[in-house]
Amino acid sequence: AELRLSHQWSTSDVRHKVAEIVANHVAEADVDLTIQIFPSGSLFKAREQYKPLSRGQLDMTVFPLAYAGGIRNPYNLTLMPGLVKNHDHAARLNESEFMQEIESIMAEDDVMVVVHGYLAGGFAGTDKCITKPDDVAGLQTRAAGKAFEQMLAGAGASIASMASSEIYNAMQTGVLQAANTSSSSFVSYRIYEQVKCFTPVGDYALWFMYQPLLMNKSTFDGLTDAQKAALMEGAAKAEAFYLEEAKKEDAEARRVFEEAGVEIADMTGDDFKAWQAIAKDTSYKAFLEGSPEGQRLLDLALSVE
Amino acid sequence: MSGTSTAIPAAKHGGNPFLRAVGIVSQCCGVISAMMILAAVIITCQMIFVRFVLNASTIWQTETVIYLMIAATMLGLPYVQYLRGHVNVDLLPLALSRGPRKLLAVATLGLALLVIGAMLWHGLHFWHEAWDWGERSGSVWDPKLWVPYLALPVGFGLYFLQLVADLIAMLMGIDKPFGLSDDVSFVEARSAGETE
Amino acid sequence: MDPLFLGAIVAIATIVVLFSGVSVATGLLIVSAGFLIVFDGMSSLSLLPEIFFGKLDNFALLSIPMFIIMGAAIASTRAGADLYEALDRWLTRVPGGLVVSNLGACALFAAMSGSSPATCAAIGKMGIPEMRKRGYPDGVAAGSIAAGGTLGILIPPSVTMIVYGIATETSIGRLFLAGVIPGLLLVALFMAWSVYSTWRKRGLEVLAGRSFTWRERFEIMPRVLPFLLIILGVLYAMYGGVATPSETAAVGALLCLLIAMIIYRLWSFSSLWVVLRDSTRESVMILFIIGAAGVFSYMLSSLFITQSIAEWIGTLDVNRWVLMLAINVFLLIAGFFLPPVAVILMAAPILLPIVTTAGFDPYWFAVVLTINMEIGLISPPVGLNLYVINGIAPDIKLKTILWGSMPFVLCMVLAIILLCLMPGLATWLPNAVMGPAV
Ligand code: NA
Ligand code: NA
Repeated sequence: AELRLSHQWSTSDVRHKVAEIVANHVAEADVDLTIQIFPSGSLFKAREQYKPLSRGQLDMTVFPLAYAGGIRNPYNLTLMPGLVKNHDHAARLNESEFMQEIESIMAEDDVMVVVHGYLAGGFAGTDKCITKPDDVAGLQTRAAGKAFEQMLAGAGASIASMASSEIYNAMQTGVLQAANTSSSSFVSYRIYEQVKCFTPVGDYALWFMYQPLLMNKSTFDGLTDAQKAALMEGAAKAEAFYLEEAKKEDAEARRVFEEAGVEIADMTGDDFKAWQAIAKDTSYKAFLEGSPEGQRLLDLALSVE
Repeated sequence: MSGTSTAIPAAKHGGNPFLRAVGIVSQCCGVISAMMILAAVIITCQMIFVRFVLNASTIWQTETVIYLMIAATMLGLPYVQYLRGHVNVDLLPLALSRGPRKLLAVATLGLALLVIGAMLWHGLHFWHEAWDWGERSGSVWDPKLWVPYLALPVGFGLYFLQLVADLIAMLMGIDKPFGLSDDVSFVEARSAGETE
Repeated sequence: MDPLFLGAIVAIATIVVLFSGVSVATGLLIVSAGFLIVFDGMSSLSLLPEIFFGKLDNFALLSIPMFIIMGAAIASTRAGADLYEALDRWLTRVPGGLVVSNLGACALFAAMSGSSPATCAAIGKMGIPEMRKRGYPDGVAAGSIAAGGTLGILIPPSVTMIVYGIATETSIGRLFLAGVIPGLLLVALFMAWSVYSTWRKRGLEVLAGRSFTWRERFEIMPRVLPFLLIILGVLYAMYGGVATPSETAAVGALLCLLIAMIIYRLWSFSSLWVVLRDSTRESVMILFIIGAAGVFSYMLSSLFITQSIAEWIGTLDVNRWVLMLAINVFLLIAGFFLPPVAVILMAAPILLPIVTTAGFDPYWFAVVLTINMEIGLISPPVGLNLYVINGIAPDIKLKTILWGSMPFVLCMVLAIILLCLMPGLATWLPNAVMGPAV
């Protein structure tokens, strides 16, 4: 059998490598199963992968689950400020009852998780450091994700929406003064050339996004036992790699910005709590308004130690 | 196009009420489409003003402008077809004599109807699915997506209608195949279609 | 089936369908649907509306209608004539002042319009009759405007550069800057040829311009002021932190509409409607091709043709300049038949990885590609600018227009060669203004 896997990133991205590990393992297992990877959005655009996946027109995807938050509101919890504290916490969350609930929602759409994984990100400012809510007041800010836009607006920032690829030019011409995105995007778009200060992922970080490798469940069920076993072995290998790499990317971003002479400012525990307080009044509140079962899921997520 | 505001070609109705009605519908679509483009211009300027002068958040503008442009494109399809403005390469029709040329025109219009019909049918499903799931765009503004998606079935439907009218007009001899007169020279056939 | 072989079949089918007289966009949909039904099954059709919508769901695309409106609004006034007349009054001592003025006006007008026929029509309406009246050969009069008009897609803003930027995910602001110096280089080459050719055929006296008093020279300046204001306003918005390039287009469109209404008294509803109608007609046609080309590239990707071609060319062990020559020949031939937007949408995603792997700069390549498209605009069988000129000056034989344009095609080929020898012509300005490419 031949499976088609789509994702939006370049072939040097960690998420492509995660897909590759699974694909290579399956190929080496020699169980008459090949996974054909379509990188860089060459098959489907980033946000348009969930529905084809759920219909079985696409077999697998590495997908930021919050992109489908407009279809399934609970998915918005996988990109919620302050919900995840660090990568080890994220790994524990993957094993929690919260994630089981999310997976049961996916199952309703005939979707299952093959590899769990979170990536983290920070803040950068062109004129000043951004660690606490007061810092963003009055700045034109680009945030990654609805919940973050709501939180930043609550802190007094002005929200400008644009693709992460536009951040560099917008900062250069002065349209934008602050941005929040993933560590790897900060590095690959060379934002360090445009900013004065960078807030990397450290002991505390706000921005964690769940970006699992998903698969159509019926397609998986249609595989032979040997094929399933090979796939899940590859998935276990990929998951371990994903967690290690996610941590490395944060360290790498810190190093690159530091070497470029950018000031580094770490978020403190108090800063984190101040952001969380604002998020509760803004993004959490907006999330709960849209979802009757939201409170239970939010409590489940917050209960993970 | 721009500047050469001399008479531009358009679908002929030859007094046939159905053809005339379809033509009027297509022209109305064109007016709405142009107004949507104009609205998109004004909203974008408003967005720049809000951000650059007032230094405030811009929440709804980007999406609104995108959806307006898509709707303008879809509603523009029948109108541009009516105006014979969809650019084509008519090497083969020009090389053919009258009879085969008409056959080719029937074949290409038939194929176009099939594929636009498929886009209409599946566009309807696409729209209905978004309606059914209560799908939202996922931004802070978070509009329901069935609204912009509606442009697809409506636009392809009206385009389909104009293509049907064109096929009828050609079969009834009201309009020429590919709009080419019988003894057309290579040069005369060219003066109409323009692009960037 | 081997994807490369399949690719060849798709290419042949596409050519046959597109030459059959069906519109380019619908033709692309027909070919895509046909191959998807055969190789992915009927059910794959249900994805097409979603993909079509997804292609258009892009903020940067909105700048296409806006830059078209800019050109259409200004072209509907007598601003184009004012522009070359002003240049003509000031360039009296320059040999061939009139044709030089017309070409200069083309370049200036191109800086406001994203579209080539708009540029061609705006300057040519007054410029061609004037040149013929003063004894310039018909071929030079028509050819220079046809060629000068193509600058609309090279000198920013440019619709084709926007499409390239979206298709290849390159910076539109940077692409715009990359086109400036090559655009000026082309203007200079066009001017040189026009003056030389006129001198050889008609002698010096034709080239000598009329003389103007200083009063006449200053009198006309207020009439070109709006132009300079628009160009400066747009440049400031784009590179001064007011707006992104795609947003800037809206400012330009609104400015041009207002200037056409207020300064050129374009008040009547019917004349405003002509501007809107023509812009809508051109924009919808282009956006439909963009959506359909998105479906087409989904088909190519789904059948693994794109990837196989890129891999195959990667394995060919040829000199990078041989590769570039082959690509240019391919683009040239495609440009003979297809509108630039269609060529870029179909070719750029396949070619760009190959070109960058071979060590060429993506912004430099955008300029080379655009010049190839410009050649297509003034060459048969579908040279759109030729037919615009034919519409403006119906009494010049198309054959004369065609032969008159050929030397300008050679100028464009020369420009491509110069760009190959000195890539800095394209890359220097964007790097100087925006820093090295990301
Ligand atoms: Na231009
Ligand atoms: Na051509």
